[in-house]
Amino acid sequence: MSAVAHSLETPHVALRDMRVHRGTRDLVRGLNLDIPRGSFVCIVGPSGAGKTSFLSCLAGLMPSRSGAITYRCLQHCDHAPLGFQMRMGLVFQHLRLSQNASVLTNVLCGALGHAPWWKTLLGFSRADKSRARTLLKDFELEAYARVPVAKISGGEKQRTAICRALMQEPEVLLADEPVASLDARLAHAVLTRFRAETKLHQRTVFCVLHDPDLVHEFADISVRLDKLCPEAWRVDHHHRP
Amino acid sequence: MSRSVARGSSSSPVSEPITPSGGPGHDYRPTPINTFSVTLVLFLIAVVFSLPAARGSGRDLDYFGNFLAFLERFFPPNFVDWRPLGDALIETFQMAVLATIVATLISIPVAIAASNNIAPAPVVRAARFILVCIRSIPGLIWALLAVAVCGANPLAGIVGLSLYSVGYLGKFFSDAFESVDKGVAEALRASGADFIQGFQFGIWPHAKPFIWSQTLWMLEYNIRSASIIGYVGAGGIGIWLHTYQELGQWDRFCAVLCCILAIVLVLDYVGERIRKQFAPI
Repeated sequence: MSAVAHSLETPHVALRDMRVHRGTRDLVRGLNLDIPRGSFVCIVGPSGAGKTSFLSCLAGLMPSRSGAITYRCLQHCDHAPLGFQMRMGLVFQHLRLSQNASVLTNVLCGALGHAPWWKTLLGFSRADKSRARTLLKDFELEAYARVPVAKISGGEKQRTAICRALMQEPEVLLADEPVASLDARLAHAVLTRFRAETKLHQRTVFCVLHDPDLVHEFADISVRLDKLCPEAWRVDHHHRP
Repeated sequence: MSRSVARGSSSSPVSEPITPSGGPGHDYRPTPINTFSVTLVLFLIAVVFSLPAARGSGRDLDYFGNFLAFLERFFPPNFVDWRPLGDALIETFQMAVLATIVATLISIPVAIAASNNIAPAPVVRAARFILVCIRSIPGLIWALLAVAVCGANPLAGIVGLSLYSVGYLGKFFSDAFESVDKGVAEALRASGADFIQGFQFGIWPHAKPFIWSQTLWMLEYNIRSASIIGYVGAGGIGIWLHTYQELGQWDRFCAVLCCILAIVLVLDYVGERIRKQFAPI
């Protein structure tokens, strides 16, 4: 069995009896799911259903009340979310960009985990800069490379946050409403890029989306959360050629 | 049925007047004793208590006549000692610049330790205590202590001003660090950045304009302070102020004040222009 075929069959992320809560309220209960490496997983549901909390649990930023979230690395070792954070790329709902720093610097921040502080104290390597510029070009941001983030539009900020996450070259990409501020063309382009990342680099993508057409077009797996009943989640597998 | 009752009870604004606190029927009356009136009474008592301090020497002096005589000796300024005054002004500027640089370099790590969103609580408490202690001692006293250690020379002035400035810059810088949205640094830490990288790319870009602005303000302040600490022998133009005051040469004293005023005005103007360039986005 080839390494790629093996990696496709082994679950990349395993959720066992997952329970997500916010305050005293349970948002998701008893979720079991095996996600193969290189899957495009869409998380959908009405506002307040717990999509962001679900993603935060996956990222290890918020503890799940019970159950287990297990990531399997390429060396076939199992990791808890906190131990896997270095290999996750995060696109936050509120972006969390450094407003006074340039677009290029923000994107380069995605490479911080690859080098110790004394190597980045005086700047980033030429290779990192070249990679960041390629990403900016792919996302139509090259003209804003030197512009402070505070001076660009909401959609441009969103793409900057996506570039920062991709700069990490993550195994798992967690994106909370990554196309919320983008027009239809750019939203399509971004999700096409995410899809390409799943196929070309075997990254597993978790993406919170609201548009059912986009979910239908891009998702391999969709997890629908229910606002009223935490156990009424639904998992759909979309078979694609 | 319960829904209709609820709707009925909440849709009668005419019959239920809006009251500042409590529900309908709660009788709100302003109390005759409130914080403002208590503070006002306490302040008036303090004024009456403080009046004896203005008693003067007790002798029957012609204050207005004395004032006019003093003005005659004060104006016009006499710049006859312009050469040594110029040297002293340059020395004052040098002391202020060096003190500000040293204080800034010391204040940044101290401010990091005093910032709630960066350092652990015990370290924050210890750092803040140190900063409060430094601030509680006036600059002139720090200069006096520095003269006792370094002798009567400009170095004492630099040491005294640096210590005093650390108290203020440490406080200002920690406020600047704490005003930063910690989500950015957390996002970077979550993506693998270490503590220093999180600070360098998550906090520093936001705090930098405030830090430059406050450092410039401190430089202006230190020039004013450096002018006076010469009174206790810590170098700078203050020694001339002291000399002219002792000799009663008020016209020359006035010339020194004019020099200080000129340098402060120039620095204030330049500082304002630079601060606008560094204004946070």
